[in-house]
Amino acid sequence: MPKKAASRVELIHGTLDMLVLRALVFGPLHGHAIATYIQRTSEDVLRVDHGSLYPAIHRLKKRGWIVGSWEPMPDRNREAKYYRLTAAGRKQLTTEHSKWRQLARAIARVMEPA
Amino acid sequence: MPDFRFWRWRRQEDEELDRELDVHFALEIEAQREAGVPLRDAQLAAHRAFGSVALTKEELRDMRRGAALERLWQETRHAARRLLRSPAFALATVLTLALAVGANAAIFAVVYRVVLNPLPYGASDRLVALEFSIPIRNIPSVYFVPSRLYFQYLDRARTLSGLAMYMGANDVTLTGQGAPERIRVSRTTSSLASVLRVTPAQGRWFTDAEAAPGASQVAVLSHGFWVRRFGQDPGVIGRPISLDGVPTVVVGVMPSSYAFPDPRIDAWVPAPFATRTTATDAYMFAVVGRLRDGATIAEARSELTRLAVDLEPLYPTNGYRALASTATRLLDATVGSIAVTLWILLVAVGLVLLVACANVANLFLVRSEAKQREIAVRRALGAGNRAIVQYFLTESALLCATGGAIGLALAWAALRVLVAFGPPNLPRLNEVALDRLILAFTFGLSLVTALALGSIPLLRFTPVIQSLHESGRGSAASQGRHHARHLLMGVQVALALVLLVASGLMLRSFQKLRAVDPGFDATSTLTFRIGLPRTDYPDRGRMAVAHRAVVDRLSALPGVSAVSASTCLPLSEGQLCQGGPLFIEGHPFPPGAIPPFVAMRAIDGGYFDTMRTRVLRGRGIDRSDVDREEPIVVVNQALVNIAFPGQDPIGQRVRFGNPSLSRGSPEWLTIGGVVVNTPIFGLAEPNPFPQLYMPMFASRNVNMAPRLDAMSFVVRTTLTPEALAEPARRAIGEVDSNLALGQVRTLQDILDRAAAQMAFTMVLLAIAAGVSLTLGVVGIYGAMSYIVTQRTGEIGVRLALGAEPGNVARMIVWQGGIVALAGITVGLATAFAGGRLIESLLYGVSPRDPGVFAGTTALLLGVVLLACWLPARRAARLSPLEALRAD
Repeated sequence: MPKKAASRVELIHGTLDMLVLRALVFGPLHGHAIATYIQRTSEDVLRVDHGSLYPAIHRLKKRGWIVGSWEPMPDRNREAKYYRLTAAGRKQLTTEHSKWRQLARAIARVMEPA
Repeated sequence: MPDFRFWRWRRQEDEELDRELDVHFALEIEAQREAGVPLRDAQLAAHRAFGSVALTKEELRDMRRGAALERLWQETRHAARRLLRSPAFALATVLTLALAVGANAAIFAVVYRVVLNPLPYGASDRLVALEFSIPIRNIPSVYFVPSRLYFQYLDRARTLSGLAMYMGANDVTLTGQGAPERIRVSRTTSSLASVLRVTPAQGRWFTDAEAAPGASQVAVLSHGFWVRRFGQDPGVIGRPISLDGVPTVVVGVMPSSYAFPDPRIDAWVPAPFATRTTATDAYMFAVVGRLRDGATIAEARSELTRLAVDLEPLYPTNGYRALASTATRLLDATVGSIAVTLWILLVAVGLVLLVACANVANLFLVRSEAKQREIAVRRALGAGNRAIVQYFLTESALLCATGGAIGLALAWAALRVLVAFGPPNLPRLNEVALDRLILAFTFGLSLVTALALGSIPLLRFTPVIQSLHESGRGSAASQGRHHARHLLMGVQVALALVLLVASGLMLRSFQKLRAVDPGFDATSTLTFRIGLPRTDYPDRGRMAVAHRAVVDRLSALPGVSAVSASTCLPLSEGQLCQGGPLFIEGHPFPPGAIPPFVAMRAIDGGYFDTMRTRVLRGRGIDRSDVDREEPIVVVNQALVNIAFPGQDPIGQRVRFGNPSLSRGSPEWLTIGGVVVNTPIFGLAEPNPFPQLYMPMFASRNVNMAPRLDAMSFVVRTTLTPEALAEPARRAIGEVDSNLALGQVRTLQDILDRAAAQMAFTMVLLAIAAGVSLTLGVVGIYGAMSYIVTQRTGEIGVRLALGAEPGNVARMIVWQGGIVALAGITVGLATAFAGGRLIESLLYGVSPRDPGVFAGTTALLLGVVLLACWLPARRAARLSPLEALRAD
């Protein structure tokens, strides 16, 4: 494994699925775009390699939270597999988001008591 | 529904995933370039970032539905391919496992049926067989009871909750439905079904009223007889049949598992003559009882003995005082001494399996050492622990499954041999089969073996780097592992020796048993039994005439040299037939003394000549004695020893039974001769039973004279005896077309049958010993070969330095030989100490017979040395150059 830059942090276990769902809120994306989205919005702190991304996608697909379909990419002469949220996926995102928010607040309270 | 054609959708999904990852890869490069990285570096970086696409794919594949199955299939295929590349290893392993598993499955099948589950009755462990010993007569076991005693027990015994009386196998002639046939019936009290807790499969058991005197006769058929004679016709219930001319109605059919007292009974009929008012002193019934809840067998024994003694004042001459109850659990009485053998065998084959596992483990060890490098490479390439475990487990599972399957086939074959050799009195042997339980047992055995073997190489893991360093040189295995290997060899030798000694002892016993002089000449004789229906032959006179007519017809047949008849032949299925107390003229028995109990037979003239039973003193019984109803008897040597010690019996006069109970005043019979002992219960009788022969009296008033309604005929011929069966059948049909021949067989058959249990034990032990010896030799050969391979370098050096090849070979044989000697020492000590366990099964051989010990030891040592010598010779023949290079 190549060493990671010090500025990057490891994803908390189980949060990747939530991030993938979040990436799809504004519309369908293909795998690479999901990775890029997460990387960019986290300002390069979170980097997702395909070794974790595709298993995560597969997990979500299996649970019926996202569906994939081959579609032509805009501006390019090729197709990519685009994933979109299902209704169940949207609901799952809401649940996980609120759960995560609670968790983050709780951790914050412990780590930085007022 | 799961789709098992996983290879199809696997390809589809794989292609899609490849495409998706391709896109990802291309986009990654593009992204890098947009960031200003040169193309080459971008590609490299993308490649690096991608690392192992294969791993990702693998991971995804594992997540898929059916992935486990798919993986298993793939691993199995790979394992099979790997094993085919080392056929010697695979073959040795599979055969070893097959032999061991097969032997275990076969013996377990026998033990399960015969020992663990011999009686298909409810709560069968509470059933007791009433037996007695007569200590003052030195008679260890009598299982016949006077009916008087039965009723005493029925009324008084508090330790028993149920009691049933029965007579073993009685042959009767079935007529009325097709050809006449001799069938075996057991006459019993109506309580038998409730005591045994069995219910008929069809119809019902007979009631108390039907078992009362004067009631019209009913019968319950055995399943086998119902199938054989009535073609499973359910309409048989209520059908009239005729047994010995007595009209009988079929009221029920028993389930197939029911076989009491033995599997050869065709039907059960009530014994209406066994009532309180007709209770006799004749020892003619067997009794089975059920222990009351909470009562122990010891309590039952003491109570039964006490109740027998209580009868003494009422019947002072009957010897009830001498009886000591040895009531046994019916389980033990039925299975008898063979249970011990079977348990020993099960343990032995279990040990054989352990040794086989050890052998295979050894093979696996050798293989895993050879595989160290491959495994190290696999690990270096990123194979996880799971993959390595799978690698070995699939191999061992595949081997064990194949071995188990072949073993099952072997077990099936072995069982057929065992059942064929089985003694007829062994319960449920005919039911022994590879049923679901045995399959499960074998499967479980293979599974456990596979797991155990598969994990052996895992214990041997060394860190990757170390094993990559090491594996280049075939450095001698560690001292510790050599010790383990030697121990293994020693244990195998010891085990094989113990089993060899046991089967050797059994073989000697069998030989001795077959060499016993039975007191008659079994060659060229055919025997069969004919019964006369009471309706057609109402009295002794007519019966005697009919028997004589049969003898005359048979004598006229071509090739027949002698014919005679007896009410009971020697070794007649372990039956006493008839016996009673013997009274001697001029020897009034003082109160408290007990008259000798003797077996009685009625015979036609020339019986001793036909049987070629030697007359020791006086004369035999002639045809004219029978015709003139001469009041004469012939006794055997055992009777002389008991009743006339140190006296001349010739001319003494005797009579039987309680004179006060006899009709009129029974006549005294004069002893005219003494013949040699012939066995009654078994070939090897330590205390031959006193026997007495009298002419088949037609009208003479003899108390307790044997009934003549059925007699066994002996035909001595110059032809092959079997060829005589058909002419004899025709000849008898001319006398009375309603007569049927039963128990058609030669005297030789009777002898063979008497030795059947010994033969069975011998075959079982021989199988175990053979398997153990084979596996032991193969194992030792394997271990020695391995050791030689390990020492090739050293041997090369020795040879190069001028060692004689002979010396090298000797050195290696010595190494194996010393281990073998240690094993033999342990084995001999074990066999010596354990001899007691099989002592009761032996005949005429001490359990420490030096000849057997020496012979088997020599055999084993020879075979083991051969197994050591073959690899040693190979080593000695190496050219030094080759040997040194090989390393």
